[in-house]
Amino acid sequence: MIRHLFLRLFVIAGLTAALTPQMAHADPITIEHEHGTLKLDAPAKRIAVTNWATTETVIALGLDPVAIADPNDYLDWVAKPDLPENFTDIGQRAAPNMEALRAAKPDLIVISKNLEMAYDNFNAIAPTIVLSVYNNNRDALPEAQKLLKTLAKATDRQAEAKAWLDDADVKFAEYGDRVRAAMPPGHALAITQFVSESHIGLYGKSSLPGTVLAKMDLPLAYQGPVNNWGFAKGGVEILGPRAQDTLVYLNPVPDVIREKVWASPVWKILDFVKNDRVYELPVVWAYGGMPSALRFARLLAESMESGPVK
Amino acid sequence: MSGQKSHEANPAMTRAINSDMNRFFHRGPTILCIVLALCSVTILINDLWPFLQNGAGMNVIFHPDETDFDQILFHFSTLPRITMAFICGAGLALAGAAIQTVLRNPLASPTTLGVGAGVEFALTVFLLLAPAALAPFKEAAALAGGMIALGAVYLIASRRANATLWLILAGMIINLMLQSGTQIFLLFNEQYLQSVFMWGAGDLAQNGWDSTQFVLPRLLVGVAVVLLLSRPLDLLALGDDTASSLGARVTILRLLILGFAVFITASVISAAGLIGFIGLAVPAALRIAGLTRSRDLMIYSLLTGGFALLCIDFLVRQMNGLGGDIVPTGAATALIGAPFIILILRKARIMPGQQSEDHHPDQQIVSKNVLSLVLVFGLVTGLGLSLFVSFNGHDFVLLTGGESFHDILLQRSERTFAAIICGAALAVSGTLIQRVGRNPLASPEITGVSSATALAMIIALVFFGFGQRADLMFVGAVGGIISLIILLLLCRKFTHTPHYLLLNGLALTAILGAIVRIALTRSGTQTSMLISWLAGTTYFTRMDEVLIVAGVTVALLIVVIAARRPLELASFGNDQATSLGLGISGFQFFIMLLAAILAASATLLVGPLSFVGLMAPHLARIAGYRLAGGHLLGAVLIGANVMMVAEWMARNLLYPQQLPTGLIAALIGTTYFLFLAIRKR
Repeated sequence: MIRHLFLRLFVIAGLTAALTPQMAHADPITIEHEHGTLKLDAPAKRIAVTNWATTETVIALGLDPVAIADPNDYLDWVAKPDLPENFTDIGQRAAPNMEALRAAKPDLIVISKNLEMAYDNFNAIAPTIVLSVYNNNRDALPEAQKLLKTLAKATDRQAEAKAWLDDADVKFAEYGDRVRAAMPPGHALAITQFVSESHIGLYGKSSLPGTVLAKMDLPLAYQGPVNNWGFAKGGVEILGPRAQDTLVYLNPVPDVIREKVWASPVWKILDFVKNDRVYELPVVWAYGGMPSALRFARLLAESMESGPVK
Repeated sequence: MSGQKSHEANPAMTRAINSDMNRFFHRGPTILCIVLALCSVTILINDLWPFLQNGAGMNVIFHPDETDFDQILFHFSTLPRITMAFICGAGLALAGAAIQTVLRNPLASPTTLGVGAGVEFALTVFLLLAPAALAPFKEAAALAGGMIALGAVYLIASRRANATLWLILAGMIINLMLQSGTQIFLLFNEQYLQSVFMWGAGDLAQNGWDSTQFVLPRLLVGVAVVLLLSRPLDLLALGDDTASSLGARVTILRLLILGFAVFITASVISAAGLIGFIGLAVPAALRIAGLTRSRDLMIYSLLTGGFALLCIDFLVRQMNGLGGDIVPTGAATALIGAPFIILILRKARIMPGQQSEDHHPDQQIVSKNVLSLVLVFGLVTGLGLSLFVSFNGHDFVLLTGGESFHDILLQRSERTFAAIICGAALAVSGTLIQRVGRNPLASPEITGVSSATALAMIIALVFFGFGQRADLMFVGAVGGIISLIILLLLCRKFTHTPHYLLLNGLALTAILGAIVRIALTRSGTQTSMLISWLAGTTYFTRMDEVLIVAGVTVALLIVVIAARRPLELASFGNDQATSLGLGISGFQFFIMLLAAILAASATLLVGPLSFVGLMAPHLARIAGYRLAGGHLLGAVLIGANVMMVAEWMARNLLYPQQLPTGLIAALIGTTYFLFLAIRKR
């Protein structure tokens, strides 16, 4: 009974949608993704997201995701853009809760290849696409851009996406100029994240920070080998060859780790520490999508202008 | 058999080592120690070379030039790292030698007896939960963690006939339990993951002398005390009877020495993380090389362990930076050290033949008939409950209908059946292993086949980027088969096949642990998925896989039930069985093979850990299912029930978060064993 009712409602909704003039799409939307091709009869409106790069990208397109994974950690690690007021918490990114997901009644689910093994289970709930920005040995920024464009296509918001990207291009250039103006000439930027009290991650060319710097036409200090997520990991000594450059570290950093690193003799001797060229960025997600990329650029410019960490 | 008996009866474990090695009394150890020392000196000179060339060699060690980065780096990073490597290696080897001598068990060590895992668990919990004001008690917490773990191991193993083996098996149980506990904490504190993993994997990177200043004084105290007590230790090595007749206060002495060994271990692990196998391999290798007196063993262990870790760490340092990632020293050491177990097994004949007397030291805790009824009833009602009732964080929800009734039901049954089948397969596997191995603490996990299956899948996933479930299943199956062949080759010549299978499994499991730690430090954003997968999750399981594994399990169960009579005989021990005209070795081997296949299938389905294979047969046996057929069926019922409950809890306890089913099952299983151990007192 209920099922029939829903079906009827669905048909009516579909008809209304098809007859509304703004819906130019009589044809189904075809989306190429990492697990094949998906045909959508109508633009997706209720999107479920299973990682933060997708979460923030959907929000940037002006849509509120109906189901979000790890929303609490999002606040600590991604911070912005703000999450919508109402959504379903679907648990961990590593294992989104299928029943919670189903209850959210999405019409499109976006997963990354980390969850591809469960593709059929997701697809049984709603049409599912696999889009990964990371862990594929490709440059992060173009991949993040591709994610935005693909999601725009799926939601029929290409115009918004184009406007967003055009605006971002202008801003990247502007932030780049601001950083250059605030930074001594001839310096390269070493972008880092503290991993533990004696280990540090150093972002390389293919990472999000690395590719954003390239976009802003700023020199990246570390050009060496990186892992699948675009960074190299090592003791603080890997900063040695980069000591003449300017160091930028991302938050969050647990206080314990920060204090220990700052107290260590090797850290103190580093040229950028001695000569006050260490800059701190507020929380920004280095494995995010376009919004995080733009946020990184903005925070970098602001941090450079407000001066180094004392 | 009688020859084997005399080894067990002879309390001086050291004499159980091949006596023909005694010709090289002290020569082997000395050579080993000197070679490693020479390597260490070479390494030091190699690291110092750039400074020696411009005459700054002394400066850089004592008063580095504050303006020269290379000098600072050497003085505050390389030099403390070399020092830490030596100190940690020395401390752990000495602790290992002490524990081995006190417990008269050449396979005992801080890592195999759960001390390391206990310290790690305590420190992880402390790091994540303790308020800043408690910081001064961190060390006490670490020490307590290590002591409690060792105590629990001892509690489970004491008063058993074959304490040598029991101790190792109990160590393994406690290890697995504490690791599960640590993982649960980490799963929900993801922001600390990377930091905890780096430390947990035992990386020796230093950026100052803090850690050295922390460990060195503690080590000196520990070493002094242990060496002072090493005279009485030689008496201990003669066995309790001899020692007490000589007037030594055996118990106090033992506890003191164990306490200080744990103290050394806890100090090292607090500062440098878990560094596996130095504490096991070094003293054991020295003993094989001919050292018998405990004082000599300790001093040699101290030096050899220090030099050995220094050399290994040098190799690891050379590998760092390649591909932009770190190989943590501790994990690398475990990787190098694990094969030593196999070597030790070959050299030291530690497996005695007396197991049959260990038939039922545990009291019956539930009656067989009541249990059968409860189990069948539980399975049926439990199945209904787990399919139709869920918990959404506030209320229990009954699934009655609705548009996606069938889909929800299908997905729930997929996972529930996966868990049940997995429980059944592991229960059969465990029953077979416990019967043929004649050891009620043996379990499928420790044949190593599960580990190898998981290992292959993890390597494919993390290092080669396989993402398709079918590919992973295939890789896993290949890994399981290869490990089976290796076990076959290793055990070909041994007369006590089941035990050697188990202990080789221990080595494989250790290798898995090491590789997992390396994988976790470099898995970036995939970490929590890896953890839950390793801990055993039904999340990715599909119905077709469940059906295949169910088919295999049922088929093999029918085979073993058909073979229940020879299985019964095999449970009695070689003498009786051979006199009854059974070619026992071949049969034992066949049964172990079936057990391994079942364990591998369950691993493919759900993951490598669960304890069900250990707990289900054990509970079935002490509940009174003594004959082979009943034992199998009883274990299957228990296994299926436990996994079903674990699966429901995993899905609903923290909704919408989901816990790995294997973790819940492991906690149920270990709690059961601790309960038994305490009840026995």
